[in-house]
Amino acid sequence: MSDPLLRLDDVYKSYGDERVLSGVSFEMETGDVDVVIGPSGSGKSTMLRCVNRLTEIDSGAIYLDGDCVTDADTDVNELRKQVGMVFQDFNLFAHLTALGNVTLGLRKVRGMEKSAAREKGYEHLEQVGLLDQADSYPAELSGGQKQRVGIARALAMDPKLLLFDEPTSALDPELVGEVVDVMRDLAAEGITMLVVSHEMGFARSAASDIVFLDGGEIVEHGPPEQLFENPRADRTREFLGRLRTEHEEG
Amino acid sequence: MGAETQESASAAGGRTVRARAADLTDQPLTALAVAVFWAWLVVRWTNDFLLDGSLAPRGTSFFPTAPIEFAASTLSGVAADLGVFGLPFRWLAGLVGFVAASVPYLPELATGVWVTVLLTVSGIAFGFVIAVPLSIARVYGGTITRSVALAYTELFRGTPLLAQLFVLYFATPLSIYIRELPAVGTGFVPAQAFWVAVVAFTLNSAAYQSEYIRSALNSVPEGQLTAARSIGLSKVEGIRHVVLPQGLRYAIPGWSNELVYLIKYSSLASFITVRELFEQADAIASETYRYTELFVLAGLLYLALVVSASLLMDAVERYVAIPGLGTSGR
Ligand SMILES: Nc1ncnc2c1ncn2[C@@H]1O[C@H](COP(=O)(O)OP(=O)(O)O)[C@@H](O)[C@H]1O
Ligand SMILES: [Mg+2]
Repeated sequence: MSDPLLRLDDVYKSYGDERVLSGVSFEMETGDVDVVIGPSGSGKSTMLRCVNRLTEIDSGAIYLDGDCVTDADTDVNELRKQVGMVFQDFNLFAHLTALGNVTLGLRKVRGMEKSAAREKGYEHLEQVGLLDQADSYPAELSGGQKQRVGIARALAMDPKLLLFDEPTSALDPELVGEVVDVMRDLAAEGITMLVVSHEMGFARSAASDIVFLDGGEIVEHGPPEQLFENPRADRTREFLGRLRTEHEEG
Repeated sequence: MGAETQESASAAGGRTVRARAADLTDQPLTALAVAVFWAWLVVRWTNDFLLDGSLAPRGTSFFPTAPIEFAASTLSGVAADLGVFGLPFRWLAGLVGFVAASVPYLPELATGVWVTVLLTVSGIAFGFVIAVPLSIARVYGGTITRSVALAYTELFRGTPLLAQLFVLYFATPLSIYIRELPAVGTGFVPAQAFWVAVVAFTLNSAAYQSEYIRSALNSVPEGQLTAARSIGLSKVEGIRHVVLPQGLRYAIPGWSNELVYLIKYSSLASFITVRELFEQADAIASETYRYTELFVLAGLLYLALVVSASLLMDAVERYVAIPGLGTSGR
């Protein structure tokens, strides 16, 4: 039997006295798209950041493709080459053009030649529909375009796994669609994605599994139709109810 | 509290100096004047240092004084004929007379300008090389690196530059070592006191520059480094390829102030016998007793240097500008 692509095994994390993750365990296979939902402060971002070790865990273990990546002797830069990340507030490199954003990692991390990096950079900008904006600086792009560049930047490293931390929460409602469309395309291409998002349309149509995180624990984990239509736990039902009301109000 | 107020007041003062200079630089006339000034300097230095005085003997002006003196005396003649109404002409005659009296001193002052420029440029450039790691240590270093960098900046910003010059010149064997080096004190290479001054200005300016760069680095959002690390760059690489290119752009306005200050403070080097512009003017004045002419001239030359620096920094700022980033947009 082959290893899962990602496995979290009883992960704990506290900030001071505040326990943020308490015994999180779950697995993803290659090609899966898992969507994490949960109230604000429930530890969703922390969980993602533990996977590429922007945050260090206190105990437990995380495995990528069978290798434990939370060992002290793991090369974190090597790990991060394999795990791309897309941020809520984009974090595009403000001094670089769209193309520059996508090629920086290719040049400085992968050591590619300038021309080869450019070629690959254009490919990924095309993948997110922004070939015509290659020479624009972040300040010249709309929020939706920025996030698509952010996705292209992560894709360019050919990661085994892409992490998304609320990729559409900072966007004006009319710009959410273009980003979700790109994410759907990626899902269809078989790219493995772990997505923190409350975009229900995306979760229903693209997710293999939904993970409901509350108070640093995985309360429920299952395919979208089951989790959305027949949640087993009261906390899940309650949260989904609140989410729907918010959605209708908003 | 007192120190802080003073700090911000002097920073604001510096900004005004540069803002005014920048207003000047918007005028094509200023650009023309600066161009003429530098053309003269370059020809003068080439003639004196490289061509061994083949255009005009060293110390001899390019411009004959006789026609200017003639113009001055003509003008005062006209003024006398016009009686009360000749006042404007009398002023003009005075001005032209001043120019005529000044011209003979220009060649020696140009040598002083050379030393001032060399001193300022070396101080700011070497200082920058130290300031960048210093400011990175302040922002990203661990407790120990941070305190060492802080101690350095406080020491050099907290004591008078003049005291630093004196300590390095009189209390350390630095000048003795430098004197032994080949070429020191020959041709266009200034004598050892100059190099001691370069060391002092470097160390001092590094402290001030690092303050400007530090606060600029702090204004780069934290997410920039996080994003850099998320694609597999190490912290050092992230600082180098992502934080610094942005931070240094933010630092340009403050850094330009430091350049302007250094041009003016370089005159302190005269206290340790460096024959920079101020010392040169002072030396000629005490021989000729033409104090007014010489210090007004020296002042004008400093002003020309400061305006040149502002012009240069404005150009640099424009050249490296990136939409939405940094200086012009803020
Ligand atoms: N760097 C940090 N230092 C201290 N506390 C933190 C830090 N990051 C997150 N937290 C705390 O951890 C909890 C979970 O945060 P987070 O993972 O961002 O939740 P979510 O993404 O689900 O909103 C919050 O209470 C937050 O205040
Ligand atoms: Mg979050």
